Amino acid sequence: MHEEFRKLAKPYLVWLYLLAVLPAVVMFGLIFLDTEGVVIETPGITLENFLYLAEPSVLKAFYNSFKFAILTTLLSAVFGYIVAYKVFRSRFRNKFLILVILILPMWSNMLLRIEALGNILERHNIITDLLSRIGIHIGVNLKGTEAGVLIGLVSTYMPFMILPIYTALEKIDFSLEEAALDLGATGLQKFWKVVFPLSLKGVVTGGILVFLPSLSGFAIPYILGKGNIILIGNLIEQNFKEMNYNAGSLLASLILIVIFAALLAVNRVDKEGETLL
Amino acid sequence: MKKIIIELKDVVKKFDGETIVDSINLQIYENEFLTLLGPSGCGKTTTLRMIGGFEKPDSGQIILNGKIVNDLPPYARPINTVFQRYALFPHLDVFENVAFGLKNRSIAYLLEFFGEEEIRKELASEKGERIGNADLRKKINKKIEEAVMKALELVKLSGYERRKIEHLSGGQQQRVALARALVNRPKILLLDEPLAALDLKLRQNMHYELKEMQKKLGITFVFVTHDQEEAMTMSDRIVVMKDGVIQQVGTPRNIYDEPINRYVATFIGESNIIRGVCLGGKVKVLDTELETSTEGFAIGESCDVVIRPEDFDVVGPDKGKFSGTVLSAIFKGVHNELIVDIGGTEFIVNSFENYEVGEKIYLKVDPYEIHLMKVTDNA
Repeated sequence: MHEEFRKLAKPYLVWLYLLAVLPAVVMFGLIFLDTEGVVIETPGITLENFLYLAEPSVLKAFYNSFKFAILTTLLSAVFGYIVAYKVFRSRFRNKFLILVILILPMWSNMLLRIEALGNILERHNIITDLLSRIGIHIGVNLKGTEAGVLIGLVSTYMPFMILPIYTALEKIDFSLEEAALDLGATGLQKFWKVVFPLSLKGVVTGGILVFLPSLSGFAIPYILGKGNIILIGNLIEQNFKEMNYNAGSLLASLILIVIFAALLAVNRVDKEGETLL
Repeated sequence: MKKIIIELKDVVKKFDGETIVDSINLQIYENEFLTLLGPSGCGKTTTLRMIGGFEKPDSGQIILNGKIVNDLPPYARPINTVFQRYALFPHLDVFENVAFGLKNRSIAYLLEFFGEEEIRKELASEKGERIGNADLRKKINKKIEEAVMKALELVKLSGYERRKIEHLSGGQQQRVALARALVNRPKILLLDEPLAALDLKLRQNMHYELKEMQKKLGITFVFVTHDQEEAMTMSDRIVVMKDGVIQQVGTPRNIYDEPINRYVATFIGESNIIRGVCLGGKVKVLDTELETSTEGFAIGESCDVVIRPEDFDVVGPDKGKFSGTVLSAIFKGVHNELIVDIGGTEFIVNSFENYEVGEKIYLKVDPYEIHLMKVTDNA
């Protein structure tokens, strides 16, 4: 690499150190300190913060986080695969357009989208209102329930699943499918023995892209769960709000470790790094 | 009388209104090596794909063992294909690739495939009278394994079972593709330019091996290529195609010695083609009368005269029918390739002797080396 080009990277490196690495170091430090916010007057070094992890509310939040992240990933994978496969198989000329339409909502503000979804998930919403005018009275309240949160998570993160799966499907050489048919495979056998295994990388990539934000996010459970469902993200937010920086840092660091572990695991399995491309 | 295994009758295939295969009639016999030869876009691959069941003809019939199979899907045909870029499954190893075709089949199919009686007899001798379904399944898996090993042995890849596809060379991949098709014991093996990606030496070796294999296994091979040398080396019969139409069907020698038109003559080997006039037992070319058979031609009819470069003999001035000047001489190893100007027309002449550029030489052609063709407008 040319020296000149290296210089171009410097502003970004400064940015990275200042806004990502330094805060992370501070965060790790805060785990072992006993402070009021970030006021470090009489910093006592302590391991007491770790006791916080044993609290039932924290354990419950961890349990919830993993439960919702896993469920979201599974549901997104199933529905996302079906959507990606349908687009892949469609004879529509401009498949890219369909994908853009699927992704388009992601370009609007997420909070707005979640709030809007929240309204629709209430017992009385714009749809039930319209339906009641023609004499149909139905309505269930999903806001504040686990189902509501799950719907929010899946609808928000599913596009991250569709795209990599679609890309993986597109990459499969059509002659492989013909070879499968030639070798006596029926349509279904062809899918399970050739197409699906070859698109698995897309599923894994999409899985990571869905799993990590649903594990660590807090806005969706906060708005759609109405405080009934607490994930790790919500606890972190609460802790920082209440100036309890030590406990917040501890939880945030743990999430960070989980994320790193996930990326490391993928790296192990896929040495060429194709999955994340 | 050879038995017809598959027959194409007036088969037409169009893509987006463009006719790719134009009412082809072709009979393919059991146990023969047939080559579809032609430049890219001549419809040879499409013809192959219709035989394999990957394309349906727009009209006409494909008749396999006396039954019309136009709508039969690929998996139901006793035909397997070696694809152009092999189409090996990258997520499976060599063994799994070769076993793919048999593993897809039902137990009933495999029982028939391996011979039910034999399997039951073998099982009975091993396990006694009571044979459960699990035993049967186990035995069949064992049989599949044996069949795969045998196929790999046939293509000289024993010991490569657990290799990954990406770790194989092009030549090895090509062999895996062959084994993968042959293990299913197809009645017909389709090969779509399978050697195109290999280097020359490897390709020449494969020519002999493929031919040997075809003879040994007694399977009909239908081979697609644009390489005339490849076609000549391996084929029992060659089908020369152009623009979706069959130009000529015949043995390599037949096609080489008696091309039906200018196109076939130029496509197969080098040739000099000159316009001449038939004179009954003689043909007049460049003001010279040559003795030859003019059967089938009227006196005074125009014809195309084909003379292969190696059929010219350089002789003394008294015996020469033509005289010309050497324009260029290129040493080709076994022979010299001369370009000779005879009365303003350039001829390619192969000779074992050396001649200087500018030298005047005299040429003759034996009557039986001269081939006459009807004049056609396709070049």
